Amino acid sequence: MTSSSSGGVFNPAYHDSETLEVDRRDKRSWTHHTNPYAGEDPAWWAERDDAEPGASSGGWRGGESFSMGLFSTSSGTNSWQHDANPHTPDSSSHYRSAAGLPSLMTGGMTMRWRGMAMRGMSMFPNADPTHAALAEDAIRSEVENEEQNLIKELIALSAGEQTRKIQELPQSFGEKKNIRRQVMAFKSSTNSHHFLCCTDCCRNMSLSFRRCGNGIKSARQTLKLWRGIMKEIGGRFGSSVLTYFLFLKWLLMFNIFSFLVNFGFITIPLLVHDLSANIPSNVSFRGLELLTGAGYFNYTVMYYGGYSNETLHGLVDYNMQLAYFFTIAVYMVLCGIVLIFSMASSFKKNYVLSDPASSRAWQLLCSWDFSLTNERAVRQRKNNLRVQLKESLSERAEKESITLSKELKQVGIHVGSWFLSTCLAVGCGASIFYLCQYGEEQAMDTAPWSLLQEAETLLVPFVVSLMNIVIPLFFSLFNKFERYSTHRRQIYALLIRTSSLTVFPSQCWEPMVGQALYRLVIIDFLFLMLGSFFGEFLSNVIGTKLQPRLGVPEFDVARNVLELVYAQTLAWIGIYFSPLLPAIQMLKFFILFYIKKVSLTRNCQPPRRSGRAAQMQTIFIFLLFFPFFVGALSIVAYTAWSLTPSEQCGPFQGLNNTFSVVSIWIHDLEAIPTSDWVVWIYQNVIRSELFYFLLTLIIIAIIYIFWQLTQGRKELINLLRQRIINEGKDKSFLLEKLQNLQKSQPAVAPSQKKIKVHSGRRSADRSSGSQSNSNAVVQVLLARQQLEEEDRRSASGVSVPSDISTSGALMQAMVARHRAERQTPEEHSSSPSPLEQAMAARQKAQDEYWTVTDADDINSPNRPPVTHARLREEEGQDGSSNPSSPASSVVIQVMQARQRAEEEERIQWAPAPVQNSASPSSSALIQAMLARQQAQNEYDDGY
Amino acid sequence: MGNKQTIFTAQQLDAYQDCTYFTRKEILRLFYRYRDLAPQLVPLDYTNHPDVKLPYELIGSMPELKDNPFRQRIAEVFSEDGQGNMTLNDFLDMFSVLSEMAPRDLKAYYAFKIYDFNDDDFICKSDLEKTLNKLTRNELTEDEVRMVCEKVIDEADLDNDGRLSLEDFQHMIVRAPDFLRYRNSDT
Repeated sequence: MTSSSSGGVFNPAYHDSETLEVDRRDKRSWTHHTNPYAGEDPAWWAERDDAEPGASSGGWRGGESFSMGLFSTSSGTNSWQHDANPHTPDSSSHYRSAAGLPSLMTGGMTMRWRGMAMRGMSMFPNADPTHAALAEDAIRSEVENEEQNLIKELIALSAGEQTRKIQELPQSFGEKKNIRRQVMAFKSSTNSHHFLCCTDCCRNMSLSFRRCGNGIKSARQTLKLWRGIMKEIGGRFGSSVLTYFLFLKWLLMFNIFSFLVNFGFITIPLLVHDLSANIPSNVSFRGLELLTGAGYFNYTVMYYGGYSNETLHGLVDYNMQLAYFFTIAVYMVLCGIVLIFSMASSFKKNYVLSDPASSRAWQLLCSWDFSLTNERAVRQRKNNLRVQLKESLSERAEKESITLSKELKQVGIHVGSWFLSTCLAVGCGASIFYLCQYGEEQAMDTAPWSLLQEAETLLVPFVVSLMNIVIPLFFSLFNKFERYSTHRRQIYALLIRTSSLTVFPSQCWEPMVGQALYRLVIIDFLFLMLGSFFGEFLSNVIGTKLQPRLGVPEFDVARNVLELVYAQTLAWIGIYFSPLLPAIQMLKFFILFYIKKVSLTRNCQPPRRSGRAAQMQTIFIFLLFFPFFVGALSIVAYTAWSLTPSEQCGPFQGLNNTFSVVSIWIHDLEAIPTSDWVVWIYQNVIRSELFYFLLTLIIIAIIYIFWQLTQGRKELINLLRQRIINEGKDKSFLLEKLQNLQKSQPAVAPSQKKIKVHSGRRSADRSSGSQSNSNAVVQVLLARQQLEEEDRRSASGVSVPSDISTSGALMQAMVARHRAERQTPEEHSSSPSPLEQAMAARQKAQDEYWTVTDADDINSPNRPPVTHARLREEEGQDGSSNPSSPASSVVIQVMQARQRAEEEERIQWAPAPVQNSASPSSSALIQAMLARQQAQNEYDDGY
Repeated sequence: MGNKQTIFTAQQLDAYQDCTYFTRKEILRLFYRYRDLAPQLVPLDYTNHPDVKLPYELIGSMPELKDNPFRQRIAEVFSEDGQGNMTLNDFLDMFSVLSEMAPRDLKAYYAFKIYDFNDDDFICKSDLEKTLNKLTRNELTEDEVRMVCEKVIDEADLDNDGRLSLEDFQHMIVRAPDFLRYRNSDT
């Protein structure tokens, strides 16, 4: 599993690792699946089979060693260099059973190591020990190099980052541990030179800190609310149901926060100041208050009326009016900000990045919910997927056959259901309005109510909640669109609120509104419980016992979420009138969680249709924000700005409106000279229209700029995508050509033909530009190789411009190919560009070598050093340069590579291995050396 | 505390913590789960790195994997011998990657390997067919399977080479925010 994973997450050298297509094809030959390049050539396979060395141990390794033998040095060096050969299950076992290099396989040796070593061995099927040893050395140094690079990168990071990076390495534990050990060892060795004692101390400190941190982490995990339950639900019902519970938990946290804020800044100061509640003597706690919220509660801190308008004199003066006003205001603003941000982030994550175009691929490869651990859920999921796939197949067939009349009919149905649902909603709203007016008339008479009177107040919330339950059933009859019900709820939630607000002629109207909301919250809670009992339990009973045809109910995520949203909106509206309403809400959600969980596990089956859970969550938050939070906010703001507070109770008694608290405060501040700036801000910012006008303008401008940016990026993405497709097409075209050529030229041993640029792990936002860049390079390479082949055949110097500037690379490749095809024997052209010169130099080197090697009929070994060095060079360039790197640098690189290659060729004839000290880039060198070694080897064999 | 000392040394635990996404407690819990699969095979003392491997049959019978259609592949991908037989290290590795703490890139990498049945570093049609059959219990006709596979490759293959490379796969996953989000790590 590990060998191919050596592509470290962050090591750029891995990212553009190249692999030999040939190796792939090897495997394909025995795994028997189709070659997408359509060039399946029996003759070719036969030829390769012939060439297979007898010593191969079968399976993958056999294929491997065979390809090495066939393609000699360059391919061999390539493959282990870039290390992208997949590590098949049996390959690793082969490595082990073969036990090729016992001397090397010490305990610390990693799998990758072994794989490479083995490949090094198989590269020289009949090599004598000295060569093998040399190869081993080279391989070892190469691997060490890679690891050293990785370790160096790791060392440069801080300890926390290090751990994170090591954790992220896609390698097996053994390898990670090895790397970690080396990093640690390196650190301690560098440190110990200098401050022995100090570093020891530091290390101990950091170790204990880390352990402490780990302890905190595990403690936090155990503290996480309902972690186990969440897991269980996710395992049994899948992610979409889980989103409901996550949302519920999120709302609960929200309410805990708001409770803490309100309780801390409004209630506690009051309680500290004056513990005794001024309850009239004739009012006692009767029990029904828990439902109605009236009576006894009316005189406590539960409602607006329980707070006074005086300044509390304690250690510091505490102005109740200001505290009340600012707490509510800041809380509302905070809510808004939190909602906007969570909405924006989840929108970005789940919508902007997602692309509806690849839905089927998504369905197949990404939709599997790996968190499912329940056998029934798994079966259900499989069924769903099958049905969905079938549907999507038939949908496409159907799309073409939709006629105009059918379309009209559908539109008619839509309009009709819209009309009906709107009528229902308006009817509900009107009926509630009149009910409220009736209730008010009843409630106008004097205080302490009788028990019956008090119970009568429950009528309105009862009816409202009942409607909430019953109306969705009607809607589901029309059409199963939840959209309508949100629309409906929005309308009459507003109506309820306005009708609640019409209470205000009474002497102390805010607590009344608070009571009404309290009742709504409580009754809503009761109905939620009843709903889950009757809705789910009863239909479960019916489904299992009476009418098996109906089946066990599913958990309706959308409906349940809407209920939550509704409940939360009530709490928001109520916060001004009843600051401790979040406490009730908190309890409600807490209990609701368990009820829903029990009901879910007992009564429901996993949902048949699985939506995209992440997008659902975004919709939930959006729903919560847009109609509901904004609605609640505007109602509270309206109350604070324009309604006159009641004159006999509450913190704002005697004021024209709530907001005038601020102007009074500012008036007071004017007397204090040090607070001039507050007054200035108030006068010039808060109260000036110009400021808001400018602010709006700026915001609009920013929005416009971002909008334009998005549009531009969209366009760019489309262009880039098109380019990838085009280049892919070109690539496959070239590959096809190449294969044709191979077929037509069986005499020439195939050299490494296909180089697949296979960029490894990239970051998610990698630009596709670099990919296409590498593609282009591949094409150029291919074209050039083809050209070389042609060269050899025609034995004439063909001059080709070898510009690999990234932009023009494609064009160049095409030109080169065409030219090669035409085989126009051009003489070295007179154009003085350095490109041509480089090309000529290469040509010369090759020709020169040709004259020598031609004699002994070995075709392959001459090119590899050249191509290889070039390849390395280009790879390096590919890894480092951005897509728009200037062509000149590329040219220089190519020239260097040429020179080096030439040098190598000259060295070839020296009997002893020559130390090539010039180049610092050791990997290319090692490869070249190996290539040379093998070339020599074969050359010797030839004699 | 006394318990920990006998199973792992402090260094071992540190190494485990640094290389996986687990805390000390979870590592021990996972160890016990591993041991519970075959108490007679797994020693209680891991300080001298005993060479113990549990066969796939035992690993595959764990509740986390038992109903997963890809259980065999998962075990194969994470086991060092590629056969699904797991050492404790492999076992911890697997749970670490499958845990919710692991980043998406890492998960995507392993998911790609899981879907890549023939280990050729590409998800090609045969891989897709296998996936599809595993996910739909062989209930689609051959024609449908072929059509779906073609569609998938058509949609997700960016460079038109007729199969999905790791980049294609990652690119697709970037746009599938749900992907493996709540993957189980119930330790």
